Amino acid sequence: MTLLDVVLFLPLVGFLLLLILPKESSRMAAMVLSSAIFIVSLGLLMPYWFQYPSGHTFSTDIQWISYPPIRYHVALDGLSLWLVLLSTLLTPIAALVSWNYIDKRVKEFYAFLLLLEFGVIGVFVSMDLFLFYVFWEVSLVPMYFLIGIWGHERRIYAAVKFFLFTMAGSVLMLGAIIFLYNRTGTFDYGQIQGMIQTGSLVFDPRTELILFLAFFLAFAIKVPVFPLHTWLPDAHVEAPTAGSLMLASVMLKMGTYGLLRFCVTLFPDAAHRCAPWIAGLAIIGIIYGALVALVQPNMKKLVAYSSVSHLGFVVLGIFSFTQQGLDGAVYQMLNHGISTGALFILVGYLYERRHSLEISAYGGVATPAPNLSIIFLITTLASIGLPTLNNFVGEYLVLQGTASANFGWAVFAALGVIFSACYMLWLYQRTFFGKASESLSHHMPDLSTREWAAILPLVILMVWMGSFAQSFLPSISVQNTAILEQTKKLRTERVAIPARPVVEVSRANR
Amino acid sequence: MPIANFLPTNADYARFLPELILTLAGVLIMFMEALRPEGKRTGAGLIAILALVLALPTALMASPGPAFQGMLVIDGMATFFRTLVVVVGLLVVFSSTDYLRRENQDSGEYYALVLFSIVGQCVMVSANELVMIFIGLEISSIASYILAGYLRDDARNNESALKYFLLGSFATAFLLYGVAWMYGATGSTNLTQIRASLISGTPPPEVLIGVAAALIFVGLAFKISAAPFQGWAPDVYQGAPAPVSAFLTVGPKAAAFAVLIRIFLGSLEPIASSWAPAIWVCALATMLVGNFAAIMQSNIKRLLAYSSIAHAGYVLVAVAANSGTGSAAAMFYLAAYAFTNIGAFAVVTYFSRKGERYVSIDDFAGLAQRQPGMAAMLTIFLLSLIGVPLTGGFFGKFYIFKAALDAKLIWLTVIGLLNSAVAAYYYLRILVVMYFREPGESVETLPPAGALLQIAVYGSAAGTLLLGIFPSLVLDFANRAAIR
Amino acid sequence: MQLWLIPILPLLGFLLNGIFGKRLAKPVINAIAVGSVVLSFLWVVKTLNALGAFSGGLEQTYKEHYYTWIQSGALNISVDFAIDRLTAVMLMVVTGVGALIHIYATGYMAHEGGYYRFFAYLNLFMFFMLILVLGANFLILFVGWEGVGLCSYLLIGFYFLEKFATDAGNKAFIVNRIGDFGFVLAIFLIGFHFNTLDFTTVMTKVKSMPVEATAGIFTAISLLLLVGATGKSAQIPLYVWLPDAMAGPTPVSALIHAATMVTAGVYMIARTSQIYLHSPWALDIVAIVGLTTAFLAATIGLAQNDIKKVFAYSTVSQLGYMFVGLGVGAFSAGIFHLMTHAFFKALLFLGAGSVIHACSGEQDMRHMGGLRKYTPITMVTLLCGSLAIAGFPYLSGAASKDLILEAAYEHAPWMYWMGVFTAGMTAFYVFRAFFMTFFGEYKGKPAAGHDHGHDDHGHGEPHESPAIMWIPLAILAILSLGGGFINIPHFLEPLFPLQEGEPARWLEYVATAAGLGGIAVAYLFYVVSPGLPESIANTFKGVHNLIYNKYFVDEFYDSTVVEPIVGGSRQLLWRVGDVRLIDGLANGIGSTARGLGGILRRAQSGYIRSYAAWVIAGTVLAIAYIGFMGASR
Repeated sequence: MTLLDVVLFLPLVGFLLLLILPKESSRMAAMVLSSAIFIVSLGLLMPYWFQYPSGHTFSTDIQWISYPPIRYHVALDGLSLWLVLLSTLLTPIAALVSWNYIDKRVKEFYAFLLLLEFGVIGVFVSMDLFLFYVFWEVSLVPMYFLIGIWGHERRIYAAVKFFLFTMAGSVLMLGAIIFLYNRTGTFDYGQIQGMIQTGSLVFDPRTELILFLAFFLAFAIKVPVFPLHTWLPDAHVEAPTAGSLMLASVMLKMGTYGLLRFCVTLFPDAAHRCAPWIAGLAIIGIIYGALVALVQPNMKKLVAYSSVSHLGFVVLGIFSFTQQGLDGAVYQMLNHGISTGALFILVGYLYERRHSLEISAYGGVATPAPNLSIIFLITTLASIGLPTLNNFVGEYLVLQGTASANFGWAVFAALGVIFSACYMLWLYQRTFFGKASESLSHHMPDLSTREWAAILPLVILMVWMGSFAQSFLPSISVQNTAILEQTKKLRTERVAIPARPVVEVSRANR
Repeated sequence: MPIANFLPTNADYARFLPELILTLAGVLIMFMEALRPEGKRTGAGLIAILALVLALPTALMASPGPAFQGMLVIDGMATFFRTLVVVVGLLVVFSSTDYLRRENQDSGEYYALVLFSIVGQCVMVSANELVMIFIGLEISSIASYILAGYLRDDARNNESALKYFLLGSFATAFLLYGVAWMYGATGSTNLTQIRASLISGTPPPEVLIGVAAALIFVGLAFKISAAPFQGWAPDVYQGAPAPVSAFLTVGPKAAAFAVLIRIFLGSLEPIASSWAPAIWVCALATMLVGNFAAIMQSNIKRLLAYSSIAHAGYVLVAVAANSGTGSAAAMFYLAAYAFTNIGAFAVVTYFSRKGERYVSIDDFAGLAQRQPGMAAMLTIFLLSLIGVPLTGGFFGKFYIFKAALDAKLIWLTVIGLLNSAVAAYYYLRILVVMYFREPGESVETLPPAGALLQIAVYGSAAGTLLLGIFPSLVLDFANRAAIR
Repeated sequence: MQLWLIPILPLLGFLLNGIFGKRLAKPVINAIAVGSVVLSFLWVVKTLNALGAFSGGLEQTYKEHYYTWIQSGALNISVDFAIDRLTAVMLMVVTGVGALIHIYATGYMAHEGGYYRFFAYLNLFMFFMLILVLGANFLILFVGWEGVGLCSYLLIGFYFLEKFATDAGNKAFIVNRIGDFGFVLAIFLIGFHFNTLDFTTVMTKVKSMPVEATAGIFTAISLLLLVGATGKSAQIPLYVWLPDAMAGPTPVSALIHAATMVTAGVYMIARTSQIYLHSPWALDIVAIVGLTTAFLAATIGLAQNDIKKVFAYSTVSQLGYMFVGLGVGAFSAGIFHLMTHAFFKALLFLGAGSVIHACSGEQDMRHMGGLRKYTPITMVTLLCGSLAIAGFPYLSGAASKDLILEAAYEHAPWMYWMGVFTAGMTAFYVFRAFFMTFFGEYKGKPAAGHDHGHDDHGHGEPHESPAIMWIPLAILAILSLGGGFINIPHFLEPLFPLQEGEPARWLEYVATAAGLGGIAVAYLFYVVSPGLPESIANTFKGVHNLIYNKYFVDEFYDSTVVEPIVGGSRQLLWRVGDVRLIDGLANGIGSTARGLGGILRRAQSGYIRSYAAWVIAGTVLAIAYIGFMGASR
């Protein structure tokens, strides 16, 4: 029973607690619980304070199901640490921004929010492929309801689309996981990785490619990688603020996390073989997402497409297979979580005031609500990668890494940096500049204390992560070095390993 | 040979105890019904429950071994399935009482028929003899035919019963015919001896065996509503009383699968190469037909009917794997599916009201807001049918596809997995109306559920979740019980 | 040495005014805003003095390390500041001129809304500009580079109620982003090839490498850096944003869009001179870009009527001169011109501001004239500035410009001649503006034209600006007159060795003559016979129309770049790509599934006979499949 188990299961406890608590108190309860969880989760930083262990920390490994041997194996490392903290940080914020926004079926809402937190944390800490899949699916359900119940007009379409897209991808991943088990006799990621490392488990190229693609598809849909992204704009537009926040900031990271944790390390050769294609898709995503964002009349759609563009950078970084690329990718996961999350919150604030997501419904907001517009500006600048703000560090590292892998990719990817400025500044101009109409200035109070409380932590993080990257990067860097090692060593060893002993291994485990 | 050898021993009776208990209870109920003064209610339901509760441990504890000169054999599988059908019976009885009261048909015959049907299924699963199997099948079927048409004034009931009866006997004829061929080919109707003759030095001509196997397969395929013999299922399940439908989708099916596994994975295993491909095709067709037909359904009973066809398809995948893990997976799946589906039908029973007026999916609009408890339970059942983790349905699918991949049935697995994604679509539609729509009049006028029904619903939910979180409980049993 | 104090002081000013400014009284805001900049100027002086910059010291780069910013693999980027003689010049110019303009602004903006906001932005700009010049590696420089771009965006769009202002802001930012695109790519190449971004390390490594003829890594880096420079320093093809940037308040135009930020490109190229010296070809490109820009901008300047637009194009043109200087290898001359230009162009803009102020917001010179009797001081100071830029002998402009032209002659005579011709035009349009403004009769209407919220004190009579405004003018006037005697080239010799040999004297004379000629023509056109320009314009209608409309470059870019991208994205990518193709496919799968379901449902006739038929068919199949084929299998 480590601190990690506590952090993982507290949300579940909170979920059950909310179910039995009376309706009236659920808002406060959720707020208190999620904040408490965040504070507890800060304890996870302990081992990473001034030192950067490369191995697992807080690891628990106990049997869950005897046959097939499925284990409850959770652990933390430099990669998952920050994603877990991101999740625990954003849940209370999501609860806070929903304070007035959610007025019907409040109790269920907060219950689902905590269930979602449980799911995503589980995804980030599972070291057993099966357990990972379980959490992967479990996190799907609450988000489905968050969109479907508390969303806007076309929420049902969006929710179903979201569920089916993800489902379609993940079933194939399940197939691949089972296949891996049949070959190895275990679901434990560490063990399978070890077998691949030592060469006691070798796939013929075709099989490896198929397995890789099965995993990749599941993750690519979640990221989403072009052209599998069309569920995202719908989901975002229809979801309530908190939903969009959790979806963009945390759930999309499940995809990129999976790519880095599983796809790359379990099937390095296939990953290297597919890298050019995937990089191509990522670059298309970067430019395509930005260009389509440019012409969106709907704020949330715009931000959603910008997410497609931003996450393109992450994928590109991962498949550059360079230290900078990976570091940048992981850092960018966090950055995107912070800045895009903040954008969705701010768009939510605007919506609560004006009840419209159409950009054309705004204009001149800066006059009645200067503070809101300043915060929005800072967030905008963060998201277009202005130095001293967080995204710059990530994008720089990704592109630097990509450039050293293949300068051509970097050239095209860097175009995205231009377009991001275009669509965000244009959005900002149309929303905040100009003369405010009568009706608008009447319904446009400036930030309330509660709204400040929700957004300020993120703004602070933007500056902090942008100006003092070293307080986050080292632990990530260590982990990525390990991952790179795993993928590299393999490709060199591959030649030496004869296929013979493999057959024994797989038989033995039948 | 002395006559004494033919007299059953105490051990035989001990092994046959569950059937005996249930039969006696059934007969008792019939008598009481006959003697019952007008308008006075007998404790038939209670007796049935007691009998089942009594049968449960005897089924579970029954000592392994043959009975009645090896006509029956109590092995792991028999125990597993006997326990399963008894539990099914229990849940069905619980979910029936309210229904019968509601329809003013609260007479004892119903329970008696359920008990007899279960007896038949018990015989089926423990029979080691084609003739016994046939007898069991008939006991079970005839009872179910009547159950399907239990509301004698209800047109749909009658249609359902008639179809079930005609097609049922049609298919059973094939089975019987197959038995005859088998006897002709191998000179025996005893499964053990059939296997022996197949692996003996002078095996019978393959064509004979093949035809026999085909005919037997058809008979069973009908019972498990496998394509292309599934035609009757939607009409029957839709027409029959909801609790009966629940019973029919799990009880007889489970038994029929048990027989299928026993015959094909057991006796006919030596000629697997000739029948396995047929099952492969059949499984594929069944999954596709079930899922894709379900997409368009607006009547929830009919939708669940098609879904039950689809699930039969998944189980057939496990059978097609033709391995120990395969049969174990099938057994686990049938158990998980039993809880899930009875639960789902129980909620439908509760919801449909007198004369089953509210069985369209749209009637469920806003259920979550008026009856959150029931909605939550139905959600669990639907998630289990989709195959979302932490429900029995998920592990069922997981084990099945695992077994299939073991057996190198790559394509069947991929298609099966994609099928389960398709299936998500139509199950989600129910969730959508339950949670995302505003309550309609059908929900507004919904009375609270009766105690027994609640036991059925929550019991099934508990079972579903239990199998989803601690599958080992049942799976270890299934693995030990599995053939080969 | 606490170099960090230099940028931090303005940052503090920014934070104080930005956060509390709303509640602060104007004097306090002024104290914070001006005080912070003056302090940092004094700190610069103290530091440079301590480093012996004023006493022939500071031969070597002085560097301070603060903390590691980004560490990934072999790549280590830390927050370092460094001072060498080049930085010293930049620091003096930025903080000195900056301080003066801040002082001036307190007067100019006195009646504006968002007063505190303005000074907060201005201080923020100082912060980033100082980061830019102090940064000891490419990424820190880039931080400043982007930062000043941001402030320029904010200050151009300061009057955010006006669409044209915010449009101009966006244009500036985005065009600069296009430049940065090149810059970052260059940074990637450097980071990849040298595994460090630190200036001194890179340059020493470069020194030891062979010179390339044309293609190759250095050429690539140089050209990419040049792209960045053309963006920031408004050179062809990316100069288009600077004229529009005049939408901002005049002090902004003076500080950011004349004296400091726009020279960042020049500074950056000088800073990376080693790389350029290794790629002569790229260096030529720099010179050609500069020369073309100088020439074309000058021609456009001939026909503009908005006084700020005139000076804007003149800025573009003068920056072109600096690029020529760099391009022909006379880096020190380029920097020298950078400094002198900072003096006289700041003066010209502030003077123009004072004029606009006098005419309560009027910017069109056709509505001015005859101001010499209303605003004598402004006139005198503006005269100094104009003479300086026109290249009047011994004034600052002449000194630096002649150096560039001489170097250009050494490099390629035609460049010299083109430069001289441009010098003539420069003299002409500057004095055209001067005469149109101060001579003739006052043609302004009381409370005139489009005014940036000036109307809150719109009194008809033109009036001289307050002391707080003309004192800075005076100081700048003195600098523009005498700035030429600060021997920057000598000061920079340790960095940029000078070519041996005295250049021929006549080169100077010709250049001067061109300047004086320009002035004479302007006098003839706009004082002696004001009708003349019209008739000439009419005779050369085509040409006049062309330059009056700035060669239709904006229109060209709009139709070839902006509209295709926006239109294409909307119609092709979004409506077709996303909605039709991808979603269409996804939904298509769904509908086919439903269609299939429909078929299957219809197959479910409900007739027993059909079911029975299926059973029979199935049985036959099974028998055939299992029985006979199975047997043969």
